[in-house]
Amino acid sequence: MHQYALFTRLACVLAVPVLTSASPAPDFAGTVYPVLVKAGCPGCHSSDGVASGTRLHFPEEGVSAAAVTSFGLSLLPLVNKSDPDKSVLLAKPTRAVPHAGGLRIIPGSPGAQILKGWISFLTTHTGSPAPLDLDVPAKVVQTPALRRLTHTQYDNTLRDLLGDESNLARQFPPEDFVKGFKNQNSAQTVSPLLAEAYGAAAEKLAKNAFRGGDRRGLIPCKWTSAGDAKCADQFVQQFGRKAFRRPLTSGEVSRYRKLFAAGAADGKSFLAGAQLVVEAMLQSPNFLQRAENGAGLDLRSWETASRLSYSLWNSMPDEQLFRAAESGKLKSPSGLETEVRRMLRDNRSRAMVDDFLEQWLRFDRLLTAVKDRRSFPTYTPELALSMTEETRRMVADLVWNNRDFTEFFSADYSYLNAGLASLYGIAPPSRDFDKVPLPPTSERAGIIGQAVFLALTSKPADTSPTARGLFVREQFLCQDVPQPPPGVSTNLPPLSKDKPQTNRERLSMHLSSESCSSCHSLIDPIGFGMEKFDAIGQRREKLTLRFAEAPRGEKVTPTQVELELDTNGEIAGLQSSRFTSPREIGKILAASVQCQECVAKQFFRYVTGRREGPSDRPALQRIYGEFRDSQFRFQELIVSVMKWTEFPPGSKSYDSGTD
Amino acid sequence: MTAVLTKKRTLSRRSILRGLSAIAGAPAMVALPPLAAMFNSAGNAYAAAPAKVAQSEIPTRFVLWFNGNGITEKYWIPLETGSEFALTPCLAPLAPFRNDIHVITGLDNPAARLPGPGNDHHRSMSALVSGTQFTGRGAGGASIDQVIAAKVGGATRFRSLQLGVSQESFGESIQRNMSWSGYDRALPPEMLPNRLFDRLFGARDAGWIQRKKSVLDAVQDDASSLRQALGKEDQMRLEEHLSSIRDVEKAIASLPPAYRQVDPPEMDGDMKDWPKISRLQSDLLVHALASGQTRVASYMLTKCQGLSRFPWLGHTAARHHDYTHADGKAPGSKGSDGQRIMRDICKWHVEEFAYLLGRLKSTPEGDGNVLDRTCLVYIHEHAEANDHKNNGLSMIVAGHAGKLRTGTHTRTTGTVGDLYLAAANKAMGAGLSSFPTSNREITGIFS
Repeated sequence: MHQYALFTRLACVLAVPVLTSASPAPDFAGTVYPVLVKAGCPGCHSSDGVASGTRLHFPEEGVSAAAVTSFGLSLLPLVNKSDPDKSVLLAKPTRAVPHAGGLRIIPGSPGAQILKGWISFLTTHTGSPAPLDLDVPAKVVQTPALRRLTHTQYDNTLRDLLGDESNLARQFPPEDFVKGFKNQNSAQTVSPLLAEAYGAAAEKLAKNAFRGGDRRGLIPCKWTSAGDAKCADQFVQQFGRKAFRRPLTSGEVSRYRKLFAAGAADGKSFLAGAQLVVEAMLQSPNFLQRAENGAGLDLRSWETASRLSYSLWNSMPDEQLFRAAESGKLKSPSGLETEVRRMLRDNRSRAMVDDFLEQWLRFDRLLTAVKDRRSFPTYTPELALSMTEETRRMVADLVWNNRDFTEFFSADYSYLNAGLASLYGIAPPSRDFDKVPLPPTSERAGIIGQAVFLALTSKPADTSPTARGLFVREQFLCQDVPQPPPGVSTNLPPLSKDKPQTNRERLSMHLSSESCSSCHSLIDPIGFGMEKFDAIGQRREKLTLRFAEAPRGEKVTPTQVELELDTNGEIAGLQSSRFTSPREIGKILAASVQCQECVAKQFFRYVTGRREGPSDRPALQRIYGEFRDSQFRFQELIVSVMKWTEFPPGSKSYDSGTD
Repeated sequence: MTAVLTKKRTLSRRSILRGLSAIAGAPAMVALPPLAAMFNSAGNAYAAAPAKVAQSEIPTRFVLWFNGNGITEKYWIPLETGSEFALTPCLAPLAPFRNDIHVITGLDNPAARLPGPGNDHHRSMSALVSGTQFTGRGAGGASIDQVIAAKVGGATRFRSLQLGVSQESFGESIQRNMSWSGYDRALPPEMLPNRLFDRLFGARDAGWIQRKKSVLDAVQDDASSLRQALGKEDQMRLEEHLSSIRDVEKAIASLPPAYRQVDPPEMDGDMKDWPKISRLQSDLLVHALASGQTRVASYMLTKCQGLSRFPWLGHTAARHHDYTHADGKAPGSKGSDGQRIMRDICKWHVEEFAYLLGRLKSTPEGDGNVLDRTCLVYIHEHAEANDHKNNGLSMIVAGHAGKLRTGTHTRTTGTVGDLYLAAANKAMGAGLSSFPTSNREITGIFS
């Protein structure tokens, strides 16, 4: 049976006692709950916390006191009625029993007393069980969203709209990674600097579009004079429909007609008018931004068309998609699905999957990283590019040949060129990046065994078990790991010749400090299992440390120390998750529901441009269910995400079109 | 469309950039072509104010100047306070400007210690520039330069300018941006001199301004159909977009005729050559200030928690941040060696600051020079870099705007915000009653 750790609503399994206790109930919302919040429980025991395996259904922010109290009542299963002091609810945070999260509430402190009070209340009252809906009722509303074209989308759109491939957006102020991706709505602002860049680009693009006449066939008619009103009208409407991705309003048509007239008169030519219109439209918010679920009914299909094209192609709709919008085809799930499947056959979808992958896996961290030249003389920018290409090839194969996507974690094959083959110590394939089986003795498998992951989570000279563990938690398990508390020194003791240490030994100081251990005991052990792969992803049997402490300029023979590596690792909180190699953790991740769900979530975040919220749970549940039922075909995941985000389960879709 | 300038005292843009590049490696006091020659083929719109103008009539300016990663205190902070202080190794480049600066140590950055997301660098940086808590991405509020710009920037072509040098892309937004217009709203610095030049002095053909204005007018009216039914946050982002368009329109509308007469830009050379870029940026900043295009600017030399290498100082074994902790594994970055390297790096930062001071001072204006009417505040996200220390910060205030007391070193208490308040009110007349973490002006710095 599948466990929906993430989506199960406790409501189905929990029966909560009705309040019939004789003693007055402590004020849970006012006094007890703040103790739990202060102790940091919600940080880990939530659906996206590091201890999501023992998730508690903390109320959403801003809910009523009654809802908070009903959460308090739901904690009954954590109470030991015969021996209240042994209740897990108390024993864990006071660390009377082992707690991966460390000591959160000091035994005997006022907080502990308040918690005890609540526990004793829960033990004393009786009552008939009543079902409790702990989650905020999934409001099935589609959040309207304003989406700014990403720089990639800007360039692609200009390619498809004007045939211009000058990629001007590469010169725009760079976009930030926010919550894992570069396309998240909250960061899609237009600063004055960006507005200037849009203006300069629009001017250049419009000029190029008409340099040497109407080379790109943007004018739909044969004009008879510079001010040919009829032809100008057609042009404004037709080009406007493509640029704004919907029909123009009459107000817009007359505004741009006026601009056309000014331009044509000024430049004494029809094309001068057209050029000015193009220049203006390319910096209009209607071109640079698009709304999702924002417009009235009449424009809704056009918005959907853009949502599909920017989600699947990172570009504007093609004519067929425009026609589908016009005909109302996109208003039904089946019509939408047909279009999605058609679009997936277009190469632009491949570029989209590449873009998703590049951001999800933070290729930028590798491509902008520097590796220590003395330790890794063979490392070059070309080798770094090959590393990303290996992963790209694997994903393209999995996605477009409809293979089981969990092999992303467990593949016992890879795609190598000569440089990577030599890095891996494997014979190179006859053609670069052909698929090759990994030797049965190899401890590599899937993404964790690939150089790109191993290198981008490392420091210039050595690995970082912490960074590797964090990456697995955040990118592959969708867990938010709390940041180190303020004021804590995050520096490790320096290595010295007299006391050479492995990373495991050095990082053990994390575990001896209360404020560090609660998180690091969940993070570092993941990285420990990968320690036999160095900072550029080469196999190493032992850790070699070199010490050269001569003053600068003086030559000394460096002292070299070799240390044994212990690769016992585990993903704390995940069942049966001990491992000693990338291959083993790959298998664990591939089979883990949490990891499979995370793949779906990450793609959901990429498509919607935001983090999932409580109202997305029903949709995510369907999306994951369909992904799993398809044996993890990524194309099916794409279809599901597009479908369930457009028609959230249980919603009344905006026309009567339902499944 | 390129208008050729023929008068003998005018320079093409290309020759200006060449001139700037040639100067980049030279000692700080080498003079640029005079401003009058740069911008005036006919009129005097962009000449600095002529000598007959009284100093008090020239608007003052504010520059917030930043280097990343903090300092090594023992090589930076003068031992003595008062006017007899000796310049430390890091401050040595300021020797010619002793009487134009006030060194201040002991300032606190309390908002850095509020619990919240991020690492120490993130928290300190957000708190340093804005007095507010790091959001997980950026600053929690407007940075001081933007608070001032909101008060005094309305009359100039650009409300404010953001300049940068080091082109790193590592980390969170807060590491790459020092100017914030509000919660999580970064104003990214322009880091390429040729693009900055284009913004400031871009060549345009006749009629361009009118055309551009009509285009932006049309676009301004365009957002109404998008606006329907958007949530509050989205509405806000749309309004920001429109306000950015209005800013661009204003910058264009106030473009004086002198702009139309310069060659298209061409910047050759190594775009990773930061010392060179730093000086080009400083030169352009001086011109922008002197020509009245803006009164407020920020200058980000290296990044917060920056990872630069410093080949021009001979330090390439490790990166800036590694050196701060002096226990980097790379050879040579250990122990005191890392400290000495940090001394060199801090000194280079100060050298670049001194270069800017020199350029301001050598640019005549009214009956004095541009530095007389400018207030510069030199900041970094940490005090002692290795400890991520966020109290006892050392800063430099420079320039004579607001009657800065100069030639002295003051150990003081109070917050960074207290200093900002004084600078904003005394030097810029911004009339601020408070800034996050402060509701009183620091005393003893301005007279």
